[in-house]
Amino acid sequence: MAMDSYYSIAYLALFLPLVIVVYTLFPKKGRWAVLLGSSLIFFWCISGKLVIYLLASIVSIHYGGIWIALLGTHKDERIRLAAETQGGPTKKELRKIYQKKQMAVTAGIALFNVGLLLFLKYTPFFMGNINRLLAALKIPAALEIPAMAVPIGISFYALQAVSYIMDVYWGKIPAQGNICRLALYMCFFPRLIEGPICRFKEMDEQLFNGERIHFDNLVRGSQRIVFGMMKKLVVADRLNLFIKNVYENPGQYDGGVIAMGAVLYTCQLYMDFSGTMDIVLGTGEIFGIQLPENFRQPFFSKSISQFWQRWHITLGTWFKDYIFYPVSMLRPMKKLTSFGRKHVGNYYGPLLSGGCALFCVWLCNGLWHGSGWNYIFFGMYHFALIFGAQIFEPAAAKICKVLHIPRKSVAWGTVRIVRTAALVCVGEMFFRAHGLKAGLGMFVNMVTNFTFASVKDGSLFQIGMDKKDFLIVAVAVLIVFINSILKEKSIDPREWLGKRGLPVRWGLCYGLILFVIIFGAYGVGYVPLDPIYAGF
Amino acid sequence: MEKLIEILEDIQPGVDYATCENLIDGQILNSLTILALVAEIEDAFDVVIPAVWILPENFNSAARIWDLICRLKEEDN
Repeated sequence: MAMDSYYSIAYLALFLPLVIVVYTLFPKKGRWAVLLGSSLIFFWCISGKLVIYLLASIVSIHYGGIWIALLGTHKDERIRLAAETQGGPTKKELRKIYQKKQMAVTAGIALFNVGLLLFLKYTPFFMGNINRLLAALKIPAALEIPAMAVPIGISFYALQAVSYIMDVYWGKIPAQGNICRLALYMCFFPRLIEGPICRFKEMDEQLFNGERIHFDNLVRGSQRIVFGMMKKLVVADRLNLFIKNVYENPGQYDGGVIAMGAVLYTCQLYMDFSGTMDIVLGTGEIFGIQLPENFRQPFFSKSISQFWQRWHITLGTWFKDYIFYPVSMLRPMKKLTSFGRKHVGNYYGPLLSGGCALFCVWLCNGLWHGSGWNYIFFGMYHFALIFGAQIFEPAAAKICKVLHIPRKSVAWGTVRIVRTAALVCVGEMFFRAHGLKAGLGMFVNMVTNFTFASVKDGSLFQIGMDKKDFLIVAVAVLIVFINSILKEKSIDPREWLGKRGLPVRWGLCYGLILFVIIFGAYGVGYVPLDPIYAGF
Repeated sequence: MEKLIEILEDIQPGVDYATCENLIDGQILNSLTILALVAEIEDAFDVVIPAVWILPENFNSAARIWDLICRLKEEDN
């Protein structure tokens, strides 16, 4: 019985309940040790000896943080001495000297962690491209591409390591002297595989406190876990049958089916990832630990930029804090901003430097998702949409004014929501396609050969999913949609449920559990989908 | 402070900066206007605003921005 995801029986029926029991039995003081021990066991069960990479990251940020702190103390001491004595470097000079030293340590540790990620994830991609280049230049040589074993969750914990060391450098947090606390921040088991990407400041106390498991938390956490299971088992896994067929053999289908494939893949990705997040956050809730939300009803977004403020939120804020602003705040960028303002005005001036920083963000975002040209295209696609929207915003405002389109009306808002969703679906199609060439082929097919023939002749229901499957998916999507509307109206669905009478409360909860048990896509004929974001 | 208000009015006119306390939370200033603002403040007040200080709580009102400038100046001396 392998424990390879949060949906495995081994995890849900054995590991998680066992951790809850042991955690409860332990005194408050030692509960964090239970979480750390279980997290390391969880990591070992999935990635075995690759735990060495995780440990290397933990050790690097631990000693890196302490080094930065020691340099800070040394600096203060020298500034104090300089104030008492005449001559020697001034306070300002000393600050600069030590800032450079601290920056060198920070850069070294950050590069080590990012370097590990790049080495393990991108070596085959880079070597494959070198081989292609050699072949194109007709040079009779080829590099042997190694098969790299990648530890689970490295894309997530590497970013946490970088955020920790940079926050210490910036003075946002003090360096943590207890390596075990750092280790728990890096590998807390519910968020290990797919995030969310946490910050040390918001997690440390919560993880270390060893809160008692309250009955309310247990109930609320379990409710969220079941809801996440519905998204994953009923929708994402069921859609896999259709999506696999379409994306494996896109040439066999007309544009209508390809468009359906794009929409359903976006739906699958959302259900898979947000479903996992429900399980992750629900598990955290059981232990009284509030992990950051990763989704905020993304399909209610009116622009692509808004979409990325609601989808994979913790990745977006990480890029904003550690790439967008640091790049924008570089001296040449600031000069570019001032130059731009003077020459092209207040609106377009900052766009020059902002655009450069945004380009870096989206290049990194694309690469973070995977090592392939289609991922880079995915990043550039979103960069073009967001940057393009900024450039054309003044023109769009004028056009709307001329055409008397009330930009704040519900109708216009709805048009914008549909348009954003369509653009997202196209982007996700490239994301899922087997390479950039296949993605482009699918896009051309979708645009030039769009028909409803597969619906009319019923062949749509022979591509892995029949009418019953579509109906089950529609019901589950409707449940998620109602839940999203409530949240959009600032109503907490679980709080609402908690205020209902016992029959309604239990009826809905058991109804949902039965729905998952009866209509979950498992058993003969179904191939469970590996958690998509775990692969990133 | 007057100089700061002038800069703000130049970058984003039509806002009562003496009373407005939600420049970021109310989306009056976005990430691009913040970039312009930082560049102008650095030029005008001879301070360096590190990326780490770009937080909503530091930019939500003219008074907060002024506090930030004063803190940075103090640190510089």
